[in-house]
Amino acid sequence: MSTDTEFHIHHDSAEKVGRRERLGVRLLIVADGSFVFGMMFSWFYLRNLNENNAWLPKGVHTFTTASGYTAAIGLIIAALAHRAGEMNHGLRRVSSIVVFLALLIGAVYQWHQMAHMPFIAHDDNGRPFYNGAYASNWVLVAGANMFHYLLGAFVALGLVIRGYRTKLDPVLEEWRQRTAGSWFTWIAISGILCAIAASFK
Amino acid sequence: MTTLSHAPVSTRPIPNPKRSLITRLNMGTGIIVGAIFCWGTYYAMRAGRDMTDSHNVNKVLLASMLMWSFGFLVGIGALIGPFRWLIGKDLTAEEQLYLAGDGQGVKRYFKYCTDHKVVGIQYLVGVMTMLGVGGTMAMMIRTNLATPGSHLVTPNVYNSLVGLHGITMIIAMIIVATGPFGNYIMPIMIGARDMAFPRLNALSWWVLFTAIPVLCSAWFLGGIPTGWTAYAPLSDQAGPGMNAFLATIIIFAVSTAVAGMNITTTVIAMRAKGMKWNRVPIFVVGATISVALAIPAFPTFMLAMIQTGMDRTIATGFYDANVGGSGWLYANLFWIMGHPEVYVILIPGVAALMEIAPVFVRKPLFSYNAAIAGFAGIAGLSVLVWAHHMYMSGWMPSLNGPFMITTEFISVPTGLLFLVLVGTLWRGRPWMKLPMLSVYAFLWNFLIGGITGVYLSDVPADNYLHGSMFVTAHFHYTLMGAAFTGAMAGLVYWFPKMTGRMLNERAGYIAFWLIQIGFNVLFLGMFMAGAQGQPRRVADYAFVYEHSNMISTAGAYSVGIGMITLLWAVVHSWRNGKIAPMNPWGAKTLEWTVPYPVPLENFDVEPIITSDPYGYGKAAN
Amino acid sequence: MVNHTEELLPPTPGQRVSKFLSRKDVRQTFILGAFFTIVFVVLGIWVYPHWMPNVLSKEMQADEDIMIWFTVISAPIAGVILAIAMESFLNMHRGDTPPEDGIAMRTHTPVVIIWSSVSVLFIILALVWGMVSMNTDAVKAATDAPNALVVDVTGSQWAWSFNYPAQNITTHTLNLPVDRPVTFNIISADVNHSFWPVQLGVKVDANRLTTTVIHTTPDKIGVLDVKCAELCGLYHAYMETSGQVESTTDFNNWVSSIQAQGGTQ
Repeated sequence: MSTDTEFHIHHDSAEKVGRRERLGVRLLIVADGSFVFGMMFSWFYLRNLNENNAWLPKGVHTFTTASGYTAAIGLIIAALAHRAGEMNHGLRRVSSIVVFLALLIGAVYQWHQMAHMPFIAHDDNGRPFYNGAYASNWVLVAGANMFHYLLGAFVALGLVIRGYRTKLDPVLEEWRQRTAGSWFTWIAISGILCAIAASFK
Repeated sequence: MTTLSHAPVSTRPIPNPKRSLITRLNMGTGIIVGAIFCWGTYYAMRAGRDMTDSHNVNKVLLASMLMWSFGFLVGIGALIGPFRWLIGKDLTAEEQLYLAGDGQGVKRYFKYCTDHKVVGIQYLVGVMTMLGVGGTMAMMIRTNLATPGSHLVTPNVYNSLVGLHGITMIIAMIIVATGPFGNYIMPIMIGARDMAFPRLNALSWWVLFTAIPVLCSAWFLGGIPTGWTAYAPLSDQAGPGMNAFLATIIIFAVSTAVAGMNITTTVIAMRAKGMKWNRVPIFVVGATISVALAIPAFPTFMLAMIQTGMDRTIATGFYDANVGGSGWLYANLFWIMGHPEVYVILIPGVAALMEIAPVFVRKPLFSYNAAIAGFAGIAGLSVLVWAHHMYMSGWMPSLNGPFMITTEFISVPTGLLFLVLVGTLWRGRPWMKLPMLSVYAFLWNFLIGGITGVYLSDVPADNYLHGSMFVTAHFHYTLMGAAFTGAMAGLVYWFPKMTGRMLNERAGYIAFWLIQIGFNVLFLGMFMAGAQGQPRRVADYAFVYEHSNMISTAGAYSVGIGMITLLWAVVHSWRNGKIAPMNPWGAKTLEWTVPYPVPLENFDVEPIITSDPYGYGKAAN
Repeated sequence: MVNHTEELLPPTPGQRVSKFLSRKDVRQTFILGAFFTIVFVVLGIWVYPHWMPNVLSKEMQADEDIMIWFTVISAPIAGVILAIAMESFLNMHRGDTPPEDGIAMRTHTPVVIIWSSVSVLFIILALVWGMVSMNTDAVKAATDAPNALVVDVTGSQWAWSFNYPAQNITTHTLNLPVDRPVTFNIISADVNHSFWPVQLGVKVDANRLTTTVIHTTPDKIGVLDVKCAELCGLYHAYMETSGQVESTTDFNNWVSSIQAQGGTQ
């Protein structure tokens, strides 16, 4: 490195850096996908095993089938809004605000769901526990959704703020939009997968 | 020594004025903030909770441990980058240069430094520390087992020793080659100026660093009774020490995902001009396949730990049969990670030896394509074999046949690895330096590990051998005898590039023979104990196993002395070793074309690759 | 060693093979290979019967056979690998400078193909062996099941207990009549254990609330060790008991003596 050149990471073009970042995020999506696969495995394995007839013990209340999908709506709207922003760059600022709000509101709703789970029972000492494997799996799936909402909201907020900055490299920003698109699409898919699983009581 | 075409790193002016936050953060501030977060969480959560309920204890401890990790990352400045991204004020070139440790001398090793060479050294020291700790525990285990009667430790301490030795070594072995060499050497090998994501590279190391004190805290919380496999429901029942185990794995899984993604991206996207896929050094291929395999593998381990944590904190019932859970769920999730994981450990070690063998035999690597087919075949099959750990669990005996088929077929790609190495040796005149000796040790050890693996994969033989010392001996032959031997060869081989000095040869030879002979005595003794019928993980045993255990322990002491010798050799040579020439082994890979100390961005001029690095030799007559 | 006049004509495959076999290093490799093969065969045949405990059932015999014969089958493969390694090791170069370059052999397709085929054949052999052995066990278990002695085994931290429902006794030692099929129904009272009657060569985990089943037929009289093969907490190492495979008369006497004590040992 000579001292008269300005320092860029690796001297690589924004195009290259952007492409690389998307690859990295997609690999992380593989990791997250494996986690979600594990959750699906847990759900259906325990459901089919029905150990001790306690997948859904007698008298345990469940969420409705719609609950899982309602929890995923924020993720789906976010992915669609982001896609709209990518199709039509004029919409980008508005769409990124929509993405952020959808994820934020979705997170709040998910929190509400987690705080009002119908299947918590109490043991002899009055201590709460999740009654049945269905209940255990539900809280895990909701937690994963929550994680996706929060991480997505962070990314979305960044994109909103960055949309108003003028000094950023436009090529790189364009790539970051696409990279974020990969993530938003994935969390929407994951939300739908979780909802499908959750509809199997 | 070669002449440097620019000023050495340390004499350049420090680019950033001392006032900004980024210059003030280091490991010390990380520890302080981490401790504050940890104790803050602990006391805040304790207040008003009924601490006689184990669920509450687990909640508080688990949260405190995870908050320590988070607090450390805040304190060391890991979150500056993401935060600056969030508010749209990306790090300036000056700040990035500062983060890369430009002109900071030794201090950069204690900072959130993005230079891949610094991270490599951090990993090296970290790995050696972990191997030291894990090895000490192994010595205590063997000492306790030297004679029947469990005289040294109580059963509780023994179980904790077994579990913590296991997990410490597994973590250390997962990163033993891809950590130091994957970070330090590999980017230079492919002609890159740094990793694809330098800040994430620093993150992967420092996240891992935070796991070490968490794991150590298990000792102060009563230890773990479960072994490193942490089978449920035993782990649901275990005491507060178990939380340390869970937190460690959760933190470690984050580190692996980040590191795996980073290395994979680097190799895919940042190879020098002309480095087509068939010109990539085999170590790079191996390391990449290994970490790429880790990306999908480890999250299921993390999931299993999160589920255990949920059972223990908020009283879910994933593994509690009374409320519809099942230990088999844990076993499945664990081994879906667990079997790929052993290949994550093995492949980089073998790949390092494949890198080394052509250099010392002065012949091209025999059948580069077979090597890649071997690695890829192993990686592909390894995700389909997990239930061979569960033949005797009672889970789906009808699947034992199919899993036996996939498991035994993994010997075919494994056989290719042997072929590549013996093919390289064939008609060769090897230069018998320390790294080369490891190739021979590997062939012997891995042969034994492989053959015994075929018995174990066979369901009827596993009827007898499962859960016995035989299994322990088998996987030590593969993990230690093969993977560790490869990593040790890598250490000796790349030591000149990483430290600028040659490793002391005499001490190296002594260490090598003590370790390898001791190792074989140790684990042949253990095969014997296993065949005689001694279960694994027992603190005490009957008199019939007396001789085999005594043999094992004798071997263990030899390994222990060898390891201490090796450590001495490393420390001594690092400080006062012979100054190394730029390319002491006459190798053709790119890392030997850069001087020591390696410049900040590795290459003054980007290299252009015109052939693979194995162009040794003259035409056959 | 090489006669240059011969190279004027392209050698026939036969000539190439005989030239290959006449090389000194090849001959040495063959000798070394034969040596290592014999060593492994001898070790396989000698070591396992010597190490492993008494064989009290066909299942145990099958386990031992697999270990012996797989070692024997893999001996030639081990022999080849070790011979080539040893041959090159003996040919080593020492000193501080690298030796001259060797031959630039980058690959040799026939060798790769032969190597892969041999390992596939080896695997198929091992698989067929394993499958047949598994199947034999399963068929035998199915035919034996009707007149089998049933023993309900319960693992708990840290002891085994055995309930013989037909005899209506509960014991802490595992006594079995010789030559009568046995069916073990295994369950755990707490965490996972693994039921391992060592000399019978069978094993299965004890799980909470789910019964696992194994079958065997003790065919020799002798002492039995029963162990736990799955780490189950504090006193895992001490979760063992003993037993006896004995003649039917002895077994019946033992049962009566326990029934006389009220059915509990």
